[in-house]
Amino acid sequence: MSGDGPELLEAEDLSKSFGGLRAVDRLSFAVVEGEILGLLGPNGSGKTTVFNLIAGALPADRGRVRFSGRDITREPPSFRTRLGIARTFQLVRPLPNLTALDNVLVARLYGRGRSTALRTARDESLDLLSLFGLSQKATTSAHALTLAERKRLEIARALAARPQLLLLDEPLGGLTTTEVSAALAQFRRIQAEGITLVIVEHNVHAVRSLCDRVIVLNSGRLIAEGRPAEVLSRSEVIEVYLGKASRAALQ
Amino acid sequence: MRGQVVAVSLIALALVLLPALAPRDNVLNWVFLALLYGALAQSWNLLGGFGGQVNLGHAAFFGLGSLVTRTLWLNQVPLPLALVAGTAAATAMGVIIGAPSLRLRGPYFAIGTLAVAEILRITTANALPEVSFLPTTYLAGYRLLPRYYLALGLVSAVTFVAWWLTRSRFGYGLAAVREDADVAEAIGVHAFSHKLLAFVLSSLFAGMAGGLFAYYHVSYYLQFPFNPIWTFDALLITFLGGAGTVWGPLVGAGFFLLLRETLALRLVELHLLIFGIVFVLVVLVFPGGFVAAWRALATRSERSLQ
Repeated sequence: MSGDGPELLEAEDLSKSFGGLRAVDRLSFAVVEGEILGLLGPNGSGKTTVFNLIAGALPADRGRVRFSGRDITREPPSFRTRLGIARTFQLVRPLPNLTALDNVLVARLYGRGRSTALRTARDESLDLLSLFGLSQKATTSAHALTLAERKRLEIARALAARPQLLLLDEPLGGLTTTEVSAALAQFRRIQAEGITLVIVEHNVHAVRSLCDRVIVLNSGRLIAEGRPAEVLSRSEVIEVYLGKASRAALQ
Repeated sequence: MRGQVVAVSLIALALVLLPALAPRDNVLNWVFLALLYGALAQSWNLLGGFGGQVNLGHAAFFGLGSLVTRTLWLNQVPLPLALVAGTAAATAMGVIIGAPSLRLRGPYFAIGTLAVAEILRITTANALPEVSFLPTTYLAGYRLLPRYYLALGLVSAVTFVAWWLTRSRFGYGLAAVREDADVAEAIGVHAFSHKLLAFVLSSLFAGMAGGLFAYYHVSYYLQFPFNPIWTFDALLITFLGGAGTVWGPLVGAGFFLLLRETLALRLVELHLLIFGIVFVLVVLVFPGGFVAAWRALATRSERSLQ
């Protein structure tokens, strides 16, 4: 998949430090339109920071982010959402005292290609809720939903903003095996609708079956890139995940 | 829903007809105060209840509205113009103070706004220490009726804005910002501009309420409307009635004034202690205020009927 098709998102020489810690260190990569890109790396390797830099939740110290050829490095997150970048959060963050319907409705009213008419937006939001099996919960406050429901709600809400690029931060964490396979089928349907996905995920089986391409980070730097099966078998990738000793043991 | 519309229409009608039904000035006077406090609390509610930003400097806008209105009105400017100028001054101040302070979050915002209001109060106290009296020519023509209807109009206008917030795109955006500003941004809501517009609307109506205060009172120290007591009364009323609800501040204002009248007569300063206890109880027992408690009761009785 790498190299095919136009690039939807380009990160160029991105850096971000927190105090003395370089969370993202001169990172460059591209996301190709239509693909599912896996963003891998051990804990603390900078994956979530990369998401925050793309979505605009954090300002970059240096480097550029381009979306559809447009420089968005200095744009606020809400503007990027209206351009077509939507995200979910690693720890789900529903708007707790709003109903499931209203959570989706706000995104429908403010996202890309938004419906400004309240009635249309509400109907479209109800359709999205039923697509995610949440019709029965439309009038339930988001804080009263189960974790699996909140995870689905968060994806429904992101889709309500009609993104071209969807960033999913550990969407499978805490889900049961059945819920995981349902979620994977859902992500493939999202891809089939023409939405490009970038996904941070620790579930290696899911990454293997879902992603067209993966990039691997370590200490904020890119250390590997390619097809998932091939990248995951490289010794330097195994090493950052499991440590040098285990590499020796494996050999 | 229909029942609510009928109830609101009936209360509104009663308030319009009240001067004819209860011509005694003390009744009208009491209702006037309830409307004034209701309007001020509702204006606080626009930002504090619906937007989740706790403004502890609300008295600054009430004070500025009253100062400008009073000064112009006593200098022969027609009252409507003086009121518009007072409101405009408070609104402009809302932009000037809101823009930097809303970049602060949570407690920093609350303390920052409190500080600004105190600076304005102390400045006014130093620059204009005298009592402002209505001159005899103004006193001769003093009637409660126009003041009463102005208060009724003001409370209706600010409550209409609160109602609009429950069913408009801007209102939904503001609710998202209140719940989680980062998430609001991530779904396309520009958090800062929403908070700023809510702040400006809140200052506008606080300024108008201040203008009404200046038109109503015969004599007062010009610094008095800047007193933090106005902020805390508005906040207390809003939380008693229900923050972020359309009717909470109005219900709260009625309750607050009833309690204050009855308690202050018998207990003088001790009534403040009772207010403190009532406030703590309400926040602990029904954190959504009277309106939320009523809703919970209504759904429970509906269920028991089924």
